[in-house]
Amino acid sequence: MSGDSAKQVTFKVQRYDPEKDSAPHFQEFTVPTSRGMTVLDGLLYIKENLESSLTFRSSCRMSICGSCAMFINNYPRLACHTQIEELQADRLTIQPLPNLPIIKDLVPDLNPMFSNHKAIKPYLIRHDTAEMESPGAEYAQLPEELNDYLQFSYCVKCGICVAACPTSASDTLFLGPQALAQCYHYCADSRDEGEAERFPLVDTDHGVWHCHFAGACSEACPKGLDPALAIQLLKRRLTSQALRLRKKQQPSPLVLPPTESKPEIAYPEFSAGEGT
Amino acid sequence: MRRTYLWFFQLVTGALIAVLLGIHIVVQHFDAILVFFGVDAAQSTSWAAMTARASQGIWVFIYIALLAVGLYHGINGLRNIILEVTRSTRAERAVTWAMIVIGIIFFAGGTYVPVALLTG
Repeated sequence: MSGDSAKQVTFKVQRYDPEKDSAPHFQEFTVPTSRGMTVLDGLLYIKENLESSLTFRSSCRMSICGSCAMFINNYPRLACHTQIEELQADRLTIQPLPNLPIIKDLVPDLNPMFSNHKAIKPYLIRHDTAEMESPGAEYAQLPEELNDYLQFSYCVKCGICVAACPTSASDTLFLGPQALAQCYHYCADSRDEGEAERFPLVDTDHGVWHCHFAGACSEACPKGLDPALAIQLLKRRLTSQALRLRKKQQPSPLVLPPTESKPEIAYPEFSAGEGT
Repeated sequence: MRRTYLWFFQLVTGALIAVLLGIHIVVQHFDAILVFFGVDAAQSTSWAAMTARASQGIWVFIYIALLAVGLYHGINGLRNIILEVTRSTRAERAVTWAMIVIGIIFFAGGTYVPVALLTG
């Protein structure tokens, strides 16, 4: 990186402090960039060298936590997962995620999304409450049953799908692709018995039926999830249940944990000169 | 559950529109194609041909069915779009009832002529 000549890129960053500003405005910064530098690196450079009051969220810097989701050049992306070079622009416009209230500068208020997520009961619901209260065994699940929902378990709750969704833009009461995809995730889990509790929550005018299948959520998701697919599958589940086309499936049975403990693998010993 | 049925009927009426509107388009506008296939449907848009069809129960049924499924599909779709910008349950209820009333008025108006022609 040291051998690369620094290219100057202008960061046009939306600023908004609710205690001082009546409306959001833009502030421009010139940032020296190099190959491999991410938008988050650029924002950190601004915060460390140019404007310490610039506010944004970030944590893992490796697109795992989903904290640094923002609107970069009019598209929702993770700042740590977006290299400045790939945008092929001398000017970057950085704004907070749309469709969510702004707390300050580039920090959106994710509470509406988390409230919707919480509302769909994103956890395993079983009728065997005694086992749920004090687990003594494991729920069996086949690999193909796991594949039914595995991709949806990779959601990092960054809010990018909500920001990309045209329905979330027009309907503030819409549950949003994140919550609906997670509803499908738990309903599709063979260990779960919570459909009867979750379906009334999503079978509403502002629930699953308001998805127009634009597919913007799936296109924007930085983790490669397909929330639009989950929503269509959820519609199919609701319809087949209403028309009584589905066979009642028994939830995964309990299996006792292994009686014999696995043999311990010897921890390798390293000596000081080894491997050099 | 009610909304699931509303959506399911939206799908069903969409499929029915494709079939019923297809029949209408072929008979009314693609009569040359019918002639090519050996079906004499010449002058299908003439007054005599249309009144002759209107006196047959099957055609009256097809047109009333097309009107019904078209109205349901269109009005339910419009309702869904309007509900995207409504903010209260009261407003949603008002929109739903307005759509039902509009649908009934259009259906009554649309069925009056074919039923009158059929019954003489």
